Amino acid sequence: MDDTILDIKNFNVTYVNKYKRVYAVKDASFSINKGDSLGLVGESGSGKSTLAMALLRLLPEKSTEISGSANFLGKDLVKLSEEELKKLRWNELSVVFQKSMNSLSPVHRIRTQVEDIYRVHHPKATKEEIADRFIYLLKLVNLSDRVYNLYPHELSGGMLQRVSIAISLINNPKLLIMDEATTALDVVTQGQILDEVVKMERELDMTRIMITHDMSVVATSCNKVAVMYAGEIMELGYVKDVLKNPLHPYTKGLMSSFPSLKGKKEKLQSISGFLPDLSKKYEGCIFAPRCNSAMDICNKKPPVIEMDNGRILKCHLYGGGM
Amino acid sequence: MKKYLLKRLLTGLLTIIIAFVINFLIINLAPGDPIKTLMGKETDDPALRAALEEKYGLNKPLYIQFFSYLKTAMRGDLGTSIIYNRPVIDMIAEKLPATILLVFTSAVLSLIIGTAMGIVAARKEGTFIDVLFSGISYVLNSMPNFWLGLMLIIIFSSVLNILPTYGMTDARASYTGIAYVMDVIKHMILPITTLVLIEIPMYYRIAKSSVLQVTNEDFILTLRATGMDERKIFNKYIFRNAILPTVTIFGISLAYLITGVSLIETVFAWPGTGRLVLTAINQRDYPTLMGMYLIMSVSIAVVMILVDIVYAILDPRIRY
Amino acid sequence: MIRTIVNDKQLLFGVLGLIFLLLVAAFAPIIAPQDPYYFGPDILNKVGENGHILGTNKMGQDIYSMIIYGIRTSLKVAVISAFISGILGMLIGGVAGYFGGRVDRVISEFINIFMMLPTFFLILLIIALFGNSIYNVMVVIGITTWPSNAKLMRAQALSLRERTFVKAATAMGESKLQILFKYIIPNGVFPVIANTTVGMSNAILTEAGLSFLGLGDPNIVSWGQMIYDGKAFLTSAWWIATFAGIAIVITVTIFYLLGDGLNHVMNPKHSRGKGV
Repeated sequence: MDDTILDIKNFNVTYVNKYKRVYAVKDASFSINKGDSLGLVGESGSGKSTLAMALLRLLPEKSTEISGSANFLGKDLVKLSEEELKKLRWNELSVVFQKSMNSLSPVHRIRTQVEDIYRVHHPKATKEEIADRFIYLLKLVNLSDRVYNLYPHELSGGMLQRVSIAISLINNPKLLIMDEATTALDVVTQGQILDEVVKMERELDMTRIMITHDMSVVATSCNKVAVMYAGEIMELGYVKDVLKNPLHPYTKGLMSSFPSLKGKKEKLQSISGFLPDLSKKYEGCIFAPRCNSAMDICNKKPPVIEMDNGRILKCHLYGGGM
Repeated sequence: MKKYLLKRLLTGLLTIIIAFVINFLIINLAPGDPIKTLMGKETDDPALRAALEEKYGLNKPLYIQFFSYLKTAMRGDLGTSIIYNRPVIDMIAEKLPATILLVFTSAVLSLIIGTAMGIVAARKEGTFIDVLFSGISYVLNSMPNFWLGLMLIIIFSSVLNILPTYGMTDARASYTGIAYVMDVIKHMILPITTLVLIEIPMYYRIAKSSVLQVTNEDFILTLRATGMDERKIFNKYIFRNAILPTVTIFGISLAYLITGVSLIETVFAWPGTGRLVLTAINQRDYPTLMGMYLIMSVSIAVVMILVDIVYAILDPRIRY
Repeated sequence: MIRTIVNDKQLLFGVLGLIFLLLVAAFAPIIAPQDPYYFGPDILNKVGENGHILGTNKMGQDIYSMIIYGIRTSLKVAVISAFISGILGMLIGGVAGYFGGRVDRVISEFINIFMMLPTFFLILLIIALFGNSIYNVMVVIGITTWPSNAKLMRAQALSLRERTFVKAATAMGESKLQILFKYIIPNGVFPVIANTTVGMSNAILTEAGLSFLGLGDPNIVSWGQMIYDGKAFLTSAWWIATFAGIAIVITVTIFYLLGDGLNHVMNPKHSRGKGV
């Protein structure tokens, strides 16, 4: 499909050190088309950030093992050399990280850093070119061009995050990964920024992966969602479908732990238990110990079921043997 | 920025005044006095004593002495040495260049060497080099500087006989021009080596921890994600951010050297102000002591202010 | 607790070293072959000569014995000056941090100014003018090195002030002074204790420096005094000054290890090894 931006299959990320191996991401597979916005949801430690960082190979090389395939615009990210990957980074594939207060060097002006970053892929660009380009992006995120000459500490958290987003877009990447990019902000700012991002996406014809633990962020700004737990993707599908009709017990648990503003007052359910130890390999379904609907068969590896409407599920409840 | 400058200047001034007052009080309240030294051990003639006290104004009440000293000091007159009968200012001016030579050369050398070692250890953390440097730094940090000087003298002067033991120049020869400079340099090697070795650990620790800390900051991760050349990231971004604490340390180091150099001057019989102070203490030469202490306090305060200014230039966050 | 100590190499060596020093200091009369104050007949004996493991000095004193007894002096100096410095620092810093406001501003300025004073010369001056007994030395070092402890305590007090249990105590009507001594100081004291080990090292080095300048107490055996004595015999009897210095280096290193180890225990992120 020419429309596919990113297609990952059996993507595995393992942290290795002297004492143990930690299986942070196991057998992840999904596919994103142009214009999609995929929300990657999960608790802390579910592996969602690891997945994103591993795609860009930003994890410490010596202690990380990556396997599987990650097809991005026809090239397999896992197999590319560091040189080739460098050409893609920030050019076709960009990231925005979470902690905004320290996301830029505090002793350099924003202008200086933007120029250096732009010149990585456009070494001969002039200062005027870069300024024009960046101020255009600043407008897109609702910031005045005055910001260009300031130091990072002169901006508020929300402004800094917007600047980070603008910087990530400077080379018109085809795919933007936002890793908990709005988590550190207050709800109002978060909402504003999400609106701006969605608007921007349409204008720049961009595809996005949104990593978050907050379902509401996914609900308001994504069209697809992948639910991750302990390094595995449990459920995948279109947002409107999954939110209205969550199938996987974990997804159901996530949904019911958010209070709704309308309707009857219901008791909030949290999912009991703790995250499993990621340094062990599990025979059966990794969520089974915490699952309300666990059955005997759940001690065997659950099948990956592809349903209609793009829904993919990893659960025995809907498996073939029912 | 201006407000910051002003504040620093005021604090510096206050420091000098307080140091001055403390010093004055201690010297004048302590037992023993210069008159005894002047009169020698034999005499105890009350008339002579009264006359001498009158001459040096030592019979006036303390606060009058204090203000009269302050008045003359402002004019640049630091009084006359009771023991040597020479203007204090002259005595200090004679010896100051020798001390400044030692202090600045060691400060700069230890900054460069210690910081470089720290950066290397940070980049190669965990390797043999790191362990080696850290070990050396630890041991150097525990040495009394004067003892190190003595050991170096034993090794290089006594046993190997390649470097001179004492003084700043070879008293017997009278070199001029280049030969003079070379002679001074030869005499400088051991004292400076001692001072530098003692100072290195401070720079090493700060540089290493600073580089490690900055390297783990979020913005470095972002820059790496953009594909920026690792070398550029280090030279421009890590370095500029990590160097800030080193600037502060430079100030502290200079302050330490200004006072600590006296021990080294004693070991190597270096004709500087350090030894001047020590003899003045023993002889209760009040004016010289006051003068030296004043100069030292002023130097330290000035150094600290300059360092703060440089820091403010380098770090835009604290100008506000 | 034993496991914490064993796991951190620096703390382990620091503690072992400290135990070693304490044992030697305590059993000095048994370990030392000769009374250090005994002015024997063997003058300026070389290393190993006449049974003197490290030689003798001009007065016939056995260097090895002097080094052993010197531990007592160094430990005394270290502990007492660090103690004084610590108490002063805790009180001043605690008051500044907890009371805040104008009190804090004034005290902080005071601390900053004090830190800028050339303390070594102040100490020199005081010792030279007021007498060089070892007790003077300890007290003077103590009252000139408290600022770093004060700064640490102040930072701790500032953050502790906002903690719920402190606010609860205030709400319950406990007086400010009570809170200071019951909650703030006991809870904030740990970094000060770690810093005190550095203070101890510095105290030993300062005492050595004072002795070297002839301002030490000649009536007691101290390593600094030995180096002072040895200076005149640098080329003829190098052992007098050398071994005393080595003893200082070892002792100071032990205190630094202790301090680093304590710091590691308090701030686990200081220690190496990044988690996943």
